[in-house]
Amino acid sequence: MGIGSFKQNIINKIQNNLDIGSIRKILKFISNPLVFYIYGLTFKSVSDKYLNKYSLTYMREVYCGNYPIAYGSLFIPYELLNSLNIRLVLPEVMGGFTAGLGVTGKTLADAANNWYSSDLCTFHRSASGAANMDLFPKPDFIICSNLACDAACKSFEDMAKKFKIEDRFYLIDIPYENDNAAIRYLSGQLENIFFDISEKLKIKPDTDNLKKAVSSSNKLRKHLLEVNKTRERLLDYPQYYNGLSYILPLFGLAGTEKAARLYGIMEKELKIKLKNQLPSRKMKKLLWMHLKPYYRNDIFNILEENNCRVVCEEITDVFWKEMDVQKPFDSLADKMLSNPLRGNGQNRINAILSMAEKYEIDAAILFSHWGCRQSNGLARILKDSLADKKIPLLILDGDCVDKNNCPSGQLKTRIEGFAEIINSL
Amino acid sequence: MYSCGIDIGSVSTEAVILKDSDIDEKNFEICSYIIGRTGSDIKTASENIFNDALSMAKIKKEDIRNIIATGYGRKNVSLADRNITEITCHASGVLSVFPEVKTIIDIGGQDSKVIKIDRLTKKPIDFLMNDKCAAGTGRFLEVMAKALDIELEAFGKIFADTNERIEITSTCTVFAESEIVSLIGHGVDKRKIVKGLLYSVADRIISMVSRLGIEEPVALTGGVAKNSGIVGAIEEKLDTRLLIPFEPQITGALGAAALALKIAKSE
Ligand SMILES: Nc1ncnc2c1ncn2[C@@H]1O[C@H](COP(=O)(O)OP(=O)(O)OP(=O)(O)O)[C@@H](O)[C@H]1O
Ligand code: SF4
Ligand SMILES: [Mg+2]
Repeated sequence: MGIGSFKQNIINKIQNNLDIGSIRKILKFISNPLVFYIYGLTFKSVSDKYLNKYSLTYMREVYCGNYPIAYGSLFIPYELLNSLNIRLVLPEVMGGFTAGLGVTGKTLADAANNWYSSDLCTFHRSASGAANMDLFPKPDFIICSNLACDAACKSFEDMAKKFKIEDRFYLIDIPYENDNAAIRYLSGQLENIFFDISEKLKIKPDTDNLKKAVSSSNKLRKHLLEVNKTRERLLDYPQYYNGLSYILPLFGLAGTEKAARLYGIMEKELKIKLKNQLPSRKMKKLLWMHLKPYYRNDIFNILEENNCRVVCEEITDVFWKEMDVQKPFDSLADKMLSNPLRGNGQNRINAILSMAEKYEIDAAILFSHWGCRQSNGLARILKDSLADKKIPLLILDGDCVDKNNCPSGQLKTRIEGFAEIINSL
Repeated sequence: MYSCGIDIGSVSTEAVILKDSDIDEKNFEICSYIIGRTGSDIKTASENIFNDALSMAKIKKEDIRNIIATGYGRKNVSLADRNITEITCHASGVLSVFPEVKTIIDIGGQDSKVIKIDRLTKKPIDFLMNDKCAAGTGRFLEVMAKALDIELEAFGKIFADTNERIEITSTCTVFAESEIVSLIGHGVDKRKIVKGLLYSVADRIISMVSRLGIEEPVALTGGVAKNSGIVGAIEEKLDTRLLIPFEPQITGALGAAALALKIAKSE
C-alpha cells in the first residue's frame, strides 16, 4: 500500500466515523506542539503558519475548552463578544471547516432531511446540518444580523429552537440608511446585547474590556491597510496570502490581540518580500468579489499559471474608519453601517469602483456562490459598471462549500478563457 | 510550414492541418481535416485522429511546426505543444472564415457558449457558457432523438415542413425525456414535438446571447450547427441570418491550427 492510499484510508475512516468526539481528538492531536511543529514546516509563509496555529488553537478552545459558545453570522462586530471571552462558531468558517473535512455531502443531506431547500446557500445548509448532527459544540448564544443577507436569521432561529435557547437568540437589525439616527438605533441594540449577554453569563458588564477590544481592532485595521497596500505591489506574489483564507481572524477574532498580531506578522512579512523583490514578469491584477471555495480546488493555481493574480478582495478591504475607543458602541455601529453591502446596491458598486481605481486592477471575478441572492442579484449592474471603466468581469458560477455543485473542468475552461482574453487585451 | 489543431470535445474529436500560404488574406490553406468520436480514451483518440490527418495531408509528423490542443480534453493531448481554450480557438476559427463576425454561438455536445468579438481589435472580449447541465446542447438533442426514435439528421426537414409545435416545458434532460415519452403515449404528432424541442433549445441559447448583448453578424459553430432545425429556430427568434462555416464542427480545431501557425511564424 502506497503512502497516498494509506492517507486516503485514514481520511475515509475519519469521514465515515466523524462525530464531535473524533473532531476533539483530531484537534488535540494536531495542536500538540510537536505535531504542529512538524505540520508547520509544510507552510510556505510565516503568516500562513500563524494563521493555522491560531485557528487550530481557537478551534481547540471552541471544542475542548470551557468557554461560552456563540454561533454568529459574518458581519457581527465580534469585538463585543470577544471582550466577553466568548468563543465563536461562524457558518462561513464552519461551512469551510466541513468542506475541508470532506463531510459536506453528509451535512447537506442532513439539512435536506430537515426541509432545507437545496437552493439555499450551502454555508448555512452545511452549518445547520453539522449543528444538527452535533458536529459543533452546543451554543450558549446565537447572534446574527440582516446585514447584506438574511440567510442567517432564518437558519439561526431554527437552531435556537433546536437547542432550546430562544431567549438567547439575538437578531441585530441594520437600518437601510447610514445617518445619526441609524447609529443611535444600532448602537442601542449592540449595548443591549452586550449587557444582556453579560447578565446571562452572570458577569459584571466590563466596558473597559470592550474598549480594549476596540483598540485591538484598530490595530488590526492599521496593519490590514498596510497589508492591502503592500499586496497590490508584490509582483512575485505568493498565493498563500489569499485574503479570503483569513475569514476567522479578520471577522471572528476582531478585537483580540491575537488577530492584530497576526496581521502585524503579515504586514512585516509582505513588506520584506516587497523590499527583496526582483523585477519579474508583469501579471494581470484581479479584484475578487464575494467568498471563494473552501474545499481543495485549483482556482488560484490556474490564475497564477495564466499570468493573473488576485490583489484584493471585496470583503477584506478596509471600509470602516478608525474607531473611537471611548465610544465603543457607537463606533462598532458605525463600522457595521459603513459596510458597502448594507442598503442600496449602489453602495457596493461604488465600493468596487473605488477599489478598482485604488488597486489599479485589470479585471475582476465575481464568484457567484449558489443560492446567494445578495451577491448575485447585482451581477448585471456590476458587470456594466466595470465595463464602463473598461474592466472585464468574469461571473464564475460555483459553490464555496459543495464541490459537487462546482464542476472543476467547466470552472477551468471559464477561468482560462477569461485569462486568455485579459492577457490579450 | 505546417501546423495542426486538435479539438477534443465531449462528443467528437477533430484534427485540422494547415499550411501557410500567401495566396489569400487568411495566410493559410487547409491540407486536411478529420472528425471522429472522442470515446473514453482521449490519448488514443487524439493520436489516431492526428495520424489520420497526417496521412490525408500526405506529410509526416516532423513536418508540423506547432500543434495546439483545445476542447475539454485539451490538457490530455501529450503530442500538443500547448493548449488554448475553446473560447479563443472558436473565435480564431470563425474569424479566419468570416472576419466581420461580432457574435459567435458554439453548440457542442455538452457545452454551449456565446462569444463576443470586439469591433476594433477583432479579439474575443467576453463569453458565456451554459451552466452545469447539458440541456440545450447536442447531447440533449441526441437523447430526445432517441426517445422519439427519429434520426437527428431528420430534425431539419421536420422543422421546415411542420407548422405547429408542442411546447416542451421541461428544461432538464431527464424530465424532458419523460415528458416526450408521455406525449408520444398520448398520440401527439412526433413532428410537433420535434419542432417544440428545437424552439426550447433555441430559447436557452438566446437567453445567453441576450445576456451578452447581440451584435450582428452572428456565426453558429459546433456539431449542432449541422442541425438545420436548430439553425432555423435560432434565426427565427433572433431575426437574423446565421453565418455557418463550411464544416462547423471543425471550427475549434481550425482556430487552434490557425493560432499554431501564427505563433510558429512569430517565433
Ligand atoms: N449531421 C448532424 N446533424 C445534426 N446534428 C449533428 C450532426 N453531427 C453532429 N451533430 C450534433 O453535434 C453534437 C456534437 O457537437 P460537437 O462535435 O461540436 O461537440 P463537442 O465539441 O464534442 O462537444 P463540447 O464542445 O460540448 O465538448 C452532437 O451531440 C449532435 O447533436
Ligand atoms: S454566501 Fe450569501 S447567502 Fe450565504 S450567508 Fe453569505 S451572503 Fe448570505
Ligand atoms: Mg466543442
